[in-house]
Amino acid sequence: MNEILRMEHISKQFGDFYANKDINFDVREGEVHTLLGENGAGKSTLMNVLIGLYQPSEGTIYLHGKKVQIDSPAEAVRLGIGMVHQHFMLVEAMTVMQNIILGDKRFKGIFIDHAARRKEILELSWRYGLNTDLEAKITDISVGAQQRVEILKALYRGAELLILDEPTAALTDIEVEGLYSVIDKLKAEGKSIIFISHKMREVLHVSDRVTILRAGKTIQTLIASETDGKELANLMIGRDLVECDYEKKESALEPVVELKNVDYNKTSKHNGLNGVTLMVRKGEILGIAGVDGNGQSQLSQIVTGVTMAEAGEVMLKGCKVGRVTAADFIDKNVSHIPEDRNRMGLVGNMTVEENLLLKSTQKCDFCDLNGWHLKKKAMRAYSEKMRAKYDIRCQGMDQEIRSLSGGNQQKVILARELEAKPDLLVAVHPTRGLDIGATRYVRDNMIAARDAGCAVLLISADFDEVLQLSDRIIVMFEGKIMGEYSGKNPPISTISLAMAGK
Amino acid sequence: MQKTKTLNILIPILSILLAFIIGMLIILLLGKNPVEAIGYLMKGAFGSKTNLANTVVRSMPLIFTGLCTCFAYRCGVFNLGGEGQFLAGSMAAITVTLLIGHEGWWVTIVAVLAGTIAGGFWGLLPGILKTWRGLNEMITTIMFNYVATLFMGFLYTTALREGSVPQTAPVPDATKIGRIISDLRITWGIVIAVVLGFAIWYFLFYTSKGFQLRAVGFNPIASSYNGLSVKKYMIAAFVVSGAVAGLGGAADILGTQFRLISGYGGGYGFDGVAIALIAQLHPLATVAVAYFFAVLRVGSTTMQVGTGVPTSVIDIIQALVIIFAVAGSSMLYLPKVKTFITNIFEKKEVK
Repeated sequence: MNEILRMEHISKQFGDFYANKDINFDVREGEVHTLLGENGAGKSTLMNVLIGLYQPSEGTIYLHGKKVQIDSPAEAVRLGIGMVHQHFMLVEAMTVMQNIILGDKRFKGIFIDHAARRKEILELSWRYGLNTDLEAKITDISVGAQQRVEILKALYRGAELLILDEPTAALTDIEVEGLYSVIDKLKAEGKSIIFISHKMREVLHVSDRVTILRAGKTIQTLIASETDGKELANLMIGRDLVECDYEKKESALEPVVELKNVDYNKTSKHNGLNGVTLMVRKGEILGIAGVDGNGQSQLSQIVTGVTMAEAGEVMLKGCKVGRVTAADFIDKNVSHIPEDRNRMGLVGNMTVEENLLLKSTQKCDFCDLNGWHLKKKAMRAYSEKMRAKYDIRCQGMDQEIRSLSGGNQQKVILARELEAKPDLLVAVHPTRGLDIGATRYVRDNMIAARDAGCAVLLISADFDEVLQLSDRIIVMFEGKIMGEYSGKNPPISTISLAMAGK
Repeated sequence: MQKTKTLNILIPILSILLAFIIGMLIILLLGKNPVEAIGYLMKGAFGSKTNLANTVVRSMPLIFTGLCTCFAYRCGVFNLGGEGQFLAGSMAAITVTLLIGHEGWWVTIVAVLAGTIAGGFWGLLPGILKTWRGLNEMITTIMFNYVATLFMGFLYTTALREGSVPQTAPVPDATKIGRIISDLRITWGIVIAVVLGFAIWYFLFYTSKGFQLRAVGFNPIASSYNGLSVKKYMIAAFVVSGAVAGLGGAADILGTQFRLISGYGGGYGFDGVAIALIAQLHPLATVAVAYFFAVLRVGSTTMQVGTGVPTSVIDIIQALVIIFAVAGSSMLYLPKVKTFITNIFEKKEVK
């Protein structure tokens, strides 16, 4: 088979951070080549380099054996590279036909020859089995149909190489079958496909070859028929057992929070919970392992009162929780390190001091007259104390928090949440994007909180982290609990298979 | 930080200077002497005791509508309805005054209260629409302005009309808000305005509720995660900012204008938005900028009479100040400008 694309020694650097480092990747004519990797492994960066959104820091791209410079998405389209994004790029108020011919540069002139365009599109859709009603508005058609429109759009623009970014993420099972048959037809017509996914089952089903990315590097390229889910899972997660520095504990104390058959947005595989039952005891860390987007966000929101469960029971300290707000949970001494610190944890335009005291200005330590006068001196003294205690590196307490580094921002959140002496700490991706030192610091503090009797729910997409810290491990997949494992000598290969839904 | 503070003061001042330079060029192109024109402007605004007083009188309603915008924006609520809320205040105040039929200081107090409540109510409506139905407040508040303006028309042409001229009866003398010095038109209303400016400043920066309100304004999502009731604060911001404008309307009708007539109150609301933005949403700066606007307004009339330069030139200068101030603040987000500024400040620190 002829090689259509070759990417050699691609590196992409953001500041000091390498999102891609020395990646080699090639696609042959008429094959489906899967890029497999965890979130943050560098799949999207690599594809953004390919479609001209990013310029690689190093490396070269060859198309049909010729060296090319892809400096804009328009150039990528001209070279025959089409991408179907995970979140579709369609104009919802316009019809299918209008969306497909939108931005078509081949024909110049004031008027659109609708009949000719329509004929061309219908031919394409017939050839590849991409049935769609050309006159329907995008808002009126299903997600699966929208995806067919995206594929059709790419083909209409002459794509020879199609990139499908997590194409099954939003589809129902039947729609997934439909997509598979479209992929088969595309292959039969000699089109090449780059398939991006982290789901083992479908990867094995559709791919000819699989390239595994981890931490921005290519790990290995395998022939799909010669491997199995277990090997792929192990390569993707990269498990050489990291020695565990933290002592594991088994707690038999009373549970602080309990969930019984909790449902939330049950029909969604990626943003819902389906019959989740779990509990976190005093003095233990319960780790939730799983690939991002399998209901972890929703779980964290329910145990912190940000959203309410749709069915099932939530018990906090032995009391059943009814209609609640985040404030009610905070009153019950629940602390939260949210998944997106800038959006949910911090007020970027406010100062370090103000963020440290975000929850506590109503306390009598910091105000008189029932909140009508703030004790600025006490506030400053307290925040200076926190700065020293948590080693927050900033120019001063009046510095805007958004100008701090991620690690220092996380320390501010940590200070705020841990100083409340919580009974339950919900930590979501607590070390995401942090360097080694800050990561270590955050982890040490969580262990210290546990040893002080706090119940900790750790939700993380970083499998290493879950393994190192958790006293018990629960695996989540598509909103369901796949199993519970002890944190002492956890069965790693079983857990990684469970994470893949097996 | 020191840096942001300095810039917040520097940008409006530079904008004003730049706008004046361009304004003077325009005057030059019109064939007039710009220095002379500005001289007349200053004379008009500061030339005599009466002129000084007129400027202060002129600034009063602008202070109220400016503070109205300032308060709402601090909570992330883009209330463009200062005008409608101001009118609601005036209408309620005069209606109550005329309906009571008596006169005296107690009527004044009742009327002022009625105006404040009416303004707050006029702010509450779009607030409810935003928090419960998710409607864009910029659109609804503007629509409510039209409702208020047209309802005022109904009052002075029909319901409260006095005689053949389309206007209401005046506020009785004993109900008027008193003058501070009897031969100048400055009333106690200006004292209320300035005190209110300080009160809002204190509230925003020295109370727990004000702190939480600002947090909600900057990042509602993080605020809700941290246990603040975002909806409650937004509704409160609508009501309080409306009440501030309504109080202004009451103070204006009871102290300066005395009756509703066609065209009353026009433009105060949007001037308020401009003032608050130039003042970078700082309540005390809002008071100062409102005064500056009044200087331009009062002075421009004298300038027109003295030199024949049309008052529109001053409108142009005003518009330019707004454009430069807004452009200046957003320019700070450009990466190149950012590094440039950091360089300057770091050099200073090294020295």
